[in-house]
Formats: sequence, structure tokens, C-alpha cells
Amino acid sequence: MMAPPRTIASNAADPPDQRLRRAKGRMNAEACDQCGKCPSSCPVTAHVEGFNPRQIIAKVALGREVDLMKSQVIWTCTSCLKCKERCPEEISPYDAILALRRIAIDLELPHPVGFDESVKAVVETGLTQQPQLVRTRDKERMDRRSMGLPQAEKPKNMAAYTESLRELLSEGMA
Amino acid sequence: MKYALYLGCTVQTEQFGYEASIRVTMPRLGVELADMQGASCCGFPPFSSVNELAWLYSSARNMAIAEGMILPLFALCNGCHLSLAETKRMLASSPELKAKVNGKLSKEGLSYEGTVELVHIFELLHDVVGKDKIQSTVTHPLKGLRFASQPGCHAIRPSSVGRPDDAENPRKLDELVTWLGADSGDYPEKIDCCGSSLAVSSGRTVMDIAGEKLKAIKRQGFNGMVTTCPFCFKVYDNRQRAIAAAVADRELEVPVFYYTQLLGLAMGLPQSSLGLDLNQSPVDTVLARMGA
Repeated sequence: MMAPPRTIASNAADPPDQRLRRAKGRMNAEACDQCGKCPSSCPVTAHVEGFNPRQIIAKVALGREVDLMKSQVIWTCTSCLKCKERCPEEISPYDAILALRRIAIDLELPHPVGFDESVKAVVETGLTQQPQLVRTRDKERMDRRSMGLPQAEKPKNMAAYTESLRELLSEGMA
Repeated sequence: MKYALYLGCTVQTEQFGYEASIRVTMPRLGVELADMQGASCCGFPPFSSVNELAWLYSSARNMAIAEGMILPLFALCNGCHLSLAETKRMLASSPELKAKVNGKLSKEGLSYEGTVELVHIFELLHDVVGKDKIQSTVTHPLKGLRFASQPGCHAIRPSSVGRPDDAENPRKLDELVTWLGADSGDYPEKIDCCGSSLAVSSGRTVMDIAGEKLKAIKRQGFNGMVTTCPFCFKVYDNRQRAIAAAVADRELEVPVFYYTQLLGLAMGLPQSSLGLDLNQSPVDTVLARMGA
């Protein structure tokens, strides 16, 4: 975890606190009965001390979103979606976590550098990574061409694609 | 039957065994595939965690390309399929967002209407192609082998978005396996996550989560695991040796296959055409039993 150089500009017309209020309105955290279905389903809760979707929703209900955004917790979800699937109140800890991630990034809070690297790669090339050289079990190197696969696709007008993404990244939306 | 083939980043840049086995098996089932020129990342996971507008634009952009081809969009990756399905729903309920996305797409001469039909591999093979057609192509039934199916999270959850199989009791991949002459079988860990999304923040946790499932599959006597999810395959197959080391279990050996690799073997196709040389898990003993 580190705070990488900013690749995503903030939108002055729609500041993070305003977006957080809107996002919180959609989380429906106050409806949580604390029934415990989400942590008992969560693959991360079983392995990582301190990660508990029920607690995340409780903290949102108590107005402690900033604490959550400053902690590693919101970056420790596997996006398995069991919490969302099984919640009897139709609360989605998963969607709450994603909303908090987006605002945390806008606030330049520490987050895994991998997200910035992927965003940069997609904005500049259209893909999260370039086609790789992979190995066979016998350690032979293979690429798309030697596998007989066509060239990887990418936007034909890369300049227009990149520009669109950069503009959208600066606008945000909680 | 013709489909726009949407590969997504992971398949296209590294999971060549999936793509190769798709390209060689589908035409034999009467499924014609058209490449999507100018396709790009669907936006999951990078943008969905960073910026919602950029995510919606990324998914809509690829659906717009398929709409331009006037073909249903066949997304190979579970993550892409869910991302496109969620975007389709969100843009259908918000004309404002749709207009905003289309404003950007117009710069590339693209337009998203929302008419695109999305198809998942479970739907295509199980519901559209179907049992009779698949069985008619099987010349080398995979007899005496029992596989644990791994449908992958995003193929089955969240049901509120409409997924190709049941959230709590998915059956389609199991049935697809049995149509090749092999056995499947329920196991309690079937709908559990591989953990791959945590690779960006906590690699060690991925090993622990994935190791648990591999151990369970071995303990329950399966001959291997079968999946259609590139993220699951990347963890259970590509990282299996590292997982075994991390969880200190040297006996942890589970052969892992893409379903379309098994399909191709049952069709009697050569291993090399199915990218089977790229599987990093110990598949050779199972391949020998198939006579491949």
C-alpha cells in the first residue's frame, strides 16, 4: 500500500463529500439487522483478521465512512458477491466497498498501486496489460502468434479513446 | 448461429489455452465466431473500483461494437460478462448516463443503443447448443473421470442482475461435463471464490483461499477441476505450485482444465490445438488416462 502519484484528477464541481453523501444514501446501511449472513459467507473474513462486511455496514450507519476509507479494509474484498446475494435486507456491502474505494481514490488516500497501474495501462493501450509471453509445462515460450491466434484488438482511434477516458476520470461520479 | 467474440483482457493477453480451445471447438458445434475489431477492456476491475463513469463507458463501448456488428455478444470471461450486464441495466434505467456515455462514444463513431444481447458460455453451450448437439460431436468420451466444477463467482452472483446459472446451486457446468462422458459431483466448496481479486492487495490471502478449495477437491477424490473462468484458472492452474508451497502441502496436485479443453479432447482434437501444453497444473496423468 502506498499513495501513488495522482493519475485521476478531481472534479471541483462535484466534490468528494457531496459524492459520499449521495453514495451513502444508496447504501441503506441503517436497514442492517446485523444478522451475520455476510461475514459467515465472506471468504476474506475467514482468513483476514479485521475484515468483516457486517462491521463495514455498521460503521457506515454510524457515520464512520472516513475511518473506513483510511483503512486497508476497503481494499481487501475479493468481489465474490456472496454478501450482496445473501443479505435479507438487500444491502450490498460489496457495492458500499466499491463506492468508498472510488471516493478514497479521489481523496488521494492510500490504496494498492496496482489499481493506478491498471488504469494507466487501459487508458493508454485499451487493455489492462499487453499480450504476454507464456510458458508451456516444458518451459517453451509461447505468444499469440506462435499459438496461431490473431493479433490482440485495440481501439482503432486510440487518441479519441484515451481522451474520452481521461475526461471521464476527471469527472467522477460516486 | 453467429456471435461477436468478446475476449477481454485476461484471455487475450495470457489465457491462450481458453481462447485456442474456444476457437477450435465452437465451429464444430455450429457456432460461428466473429472477432470484435477495436474492442477494449470492459472496465472491471480497474475502473469499477476507481471511477464509475469510466467503467460504464468501457463496458458500453464494447457493447456498441457488437451492436454495430448486429450480433449477440459472447463474453468469454465471467468478470466481463457481469460488467457488461450491470452496465446494460444501469444505462437502461438512466437516460442521462446513457447520453453521457454516448457523447464520448460518438468521438469514435460508436453509439450504444442498449439492444445488444449478451451471452455467457453456460447459456451458449447448455441452453443454445444443447445436449444432443454436444454429444453428437463426442468421439472420445471421457469415461472413468470425475471433475469438480468451478463455475466462478460472477457467473452465478448477483442473481439480481440476472446470471446464467443459479446462485446457490449451479448445475449447468456439471451437466456439460457429464455430456462428455465424464462424471461431476457436488462438493460443499463449489460456489466459493478463488480469491483472485485480492492479488492486487494481498497475494498471501489468495494462496490461503485457493489452497483451501484445492485441498477440498483432492480430499473428495475428484480427478481434477474444470472451469470456464479465466481468473479462476489463473489461480488454480497457473499458480497451483505457488499455492502448494504457500500452504505447505507438497501433495496438493489437482489437474485443472478449461471446459473447452475437455470438450476438444472428447471431440478427438489434438492437445496442441487446445493449448493444453500451457496448463501448469499436473494434467499429464489425466491426459494419459484419456488416451490423449
